[in-house]
Amino acid sequence: MLRAWLAAAAGVLWTCAVALAAVDPGAAVAPRMEFTPPRPGSYTLQKIQPVADAALLEPSGRSVRLSAVTTGKITLLTFFYTYCVDPLGCPFAYRTLIDIRNRVLRDAGLTGRVRFVSVSLDPSNDTPEAIGRYHDMISRDSGMEWDVLTARSVRDLLPVLDDFGQDVSVERAADGTPSRTVHHMLKMFLIDRAGVVREIYSLAFLQPVVMLNDIRTLYLEEQAGAARPAVRTARRSAH
Amino acid sequence: MNHKASMSTRIRFCSLAVGLIAAASVARGDETCNSPYISNLIKGQEDFIHVWTLGEKGLGDGSDKLVTIDVNPASKGYGKVVGSVSVGGRGEAHHMGFTDDRKYLWAGDLDDSKIYVFDVGSNPSKPRLVRTITDLAAKSGFVGPHTFYALPGRVLIGNLSNSKDKGGVTGLVTYNNKGTFIAKYDIPTGLVAGVKGDGYGYDVAVNPAKNVLLTSSFTGWNNYMRSLGEVVKDPEAMKHFGATMVVWDLKSMKPTQVLSVPGAPLEIRWALAPGQNWAVTAAALTSKIWLIKQDAHGAWTAKDVATIGDPAKIPLPVDISISADAKGLWVNTFMDGLTHYFDLTDPEHPKETYQKKTGRQVNMVSQSWDGKRVYITSSLLSKWDKAGEDNEQVLRGYRWDGHELTAAFEVDFTKEKLGRPHHMKFTAKPAAQVALADPSR
Repeated sequence: MLRAWLAAAAGVLWTCAVALAAVDPGAAVAPRMEFTPPRPGSYTLQKIQPVADAALLEPSGRSVRLSAVTTGKITLLTFFYTYCVDPLGCPFAYRTLIDIRNRVLRDAGLTGRVRFVSVSLDPSNDTPEAIGRYHDMISRDSGMEWDVLTARSVRDLLPVLDDFGQDVSVERAADGTPSRTVHHMLKMFLIDRAGVVREIYSLAFLQPVVMLNDIRTLYLEEQAGAARPAVRTARRSAH
Repeated sequence: MNHKASMSTRIRFCSLAVGLIAAASVARGDETCNSPYISNLIKGQEDFIHVWTLGEKGLGDGSDKLVTIDVNPASKGYGKVVGSVSVGGRGEAHHMGFTDDRKYLWAGDLDDSKIYVFDVGSNPSKPRLVRTITDLAAKSGFVGPHTFYALPGRVLIGNLSNSKDKGGVTGLVTYNNKGTFIAKYDIPTGLVAGVKGDGYGYDVAVNPAKNVLLTSSFTGWNNYMRSLGEVVKDPEAMKHFGATMVVWDLKSMKPTQVLSVPGAPLEIRWALAPGQNWAVTAAALTSKIWLIKQDAHGAWTAKDVATIGDPAKIPLPVDISISADAKGLWVNTFMDGLTHYFDLTDPEHPKETYQKKTGRQVNMVSQSWDGKRVYITSSLLSKWDKAGEDNEQVLRGYRWDGHELTAAFEVDFTKEKLGRPHHMKFTAKPAAQVALADPSR
């Protein structure tokens, strides 16, 4: 009974969320940015941690390895839930991602090299079908890879949340039962082609200009890495 | 503020929205002197104070320990020790800091350079030691981990010394929240924008809106692990104190300016309200308050703006705590046992408006977000604390009504056989939330 009610409520809230996300997620306070960021490639992003692999689900319901969507391209990964309507939460993150996506699409050098990954932190309600609707909405005119994933169960998701240090809890309603509000500290994770987390953006850092510079920095790092053997070869040839 | 109301505030504060508000615009006052990146800043009544306590030979088990005290006036255990986690050794316990999720408290030893990680999120009344990090010197060449400052997913640590000569030249390191070393950064010893650095370190503090990290400078292991009386009588030793602050580009972790701030500038506190572009520090040896401010051209300047007590008597200002509105500053002077209040309404001209003797020796001072509660501890360093009757070791809680500090409770750490209390951090009971995996969902 409870599950049926939750499913119905989730549908209503999802509709609201999509409407909000698609139109205007609402006013959100952008972090203050009173500086000129350093040039892309003029700094090195720290290698914070490798991403641990896990089995998640695609909208089709097929199993997918997390490593398959966190390696091979520069990845910006975030956790969300489809019915989150907190204007300072997921909708704000969504708007930031759209801003970054538009900046990435304007940079010819980054074409095909960047992906976004959104992982639901509420697999109890965000079924493959639910994230499929969300995926259809965000991938429309997306112009780049944007994977939306969920987990088979909370049990499958917990190691992923733990690995990313993503603390999640559910608020209790007045009667003591779990409410529909899922608390989590909003973070985005920038992951390099090798699957290593290179930057983490909490809300103070959700500055699209800086985030794009970080993506470009990783791209330039890739280019330098790819160029290195060629330089060595050229030097050998010169001798 | 009653407890119920504060819990409600806390619940709201645990939400996403709070993360944004906290990160984007605040981080002032002592509760708020925490890194602006941590979540769940406590704006209401704190429930517990955790005190990183130096072990003392012959007292209790003699080991460093994390002592937890109930500080909620509505609690039956108010003012009492409710927990103590011994680390099983004595290594000069000093400072600590939360991870960005406020679930873990990292606490450092200045002598053996061990870093202890306590779980304070699962049950703040009963912290648990979950990890000990021992590779700081091996990975970085630095020793004396002092300040622990949360960055997203990692901890930035400001160190005091190095393993080679145990002098004051040192640097910064980052570890990820799992305790794995990530990177090291030398504090500059050469010229930076025309000013020579001394390489010394102490506190670290970030202003995210400015992309600026500030560091201050103290002294190396050779001095801080030696008797204070000997150090002050040794002219050569007295040459080895920090006299600079460094401005860093946080994103690139590169120094951009070295500021001349003589006399060992210690704690750094930013005023992070919108439109503010300044921080303050206190220089221990010269007993001065310094203002670090951005000028009209964007460059950072350091200016001596006030005197604390009589510098000739070396009162030794050892800790400061800025109010949430950045209009007031508590300053503890160790030698005379005074707690001072400075009106910071005009940060260019701080004025002392109140002082009270709060102990025979006083060190750390921490205030609640609302400024109504002030806590002090007594110990500076094991070799620098006073001797005999003056070596009282206490935590004292006070109420502050804007005019007078009124004693609320006291914990005698000697009587309780705990040791020497140093750094304090606040926690609150978890809000009424359900785990994601709770079967009731």
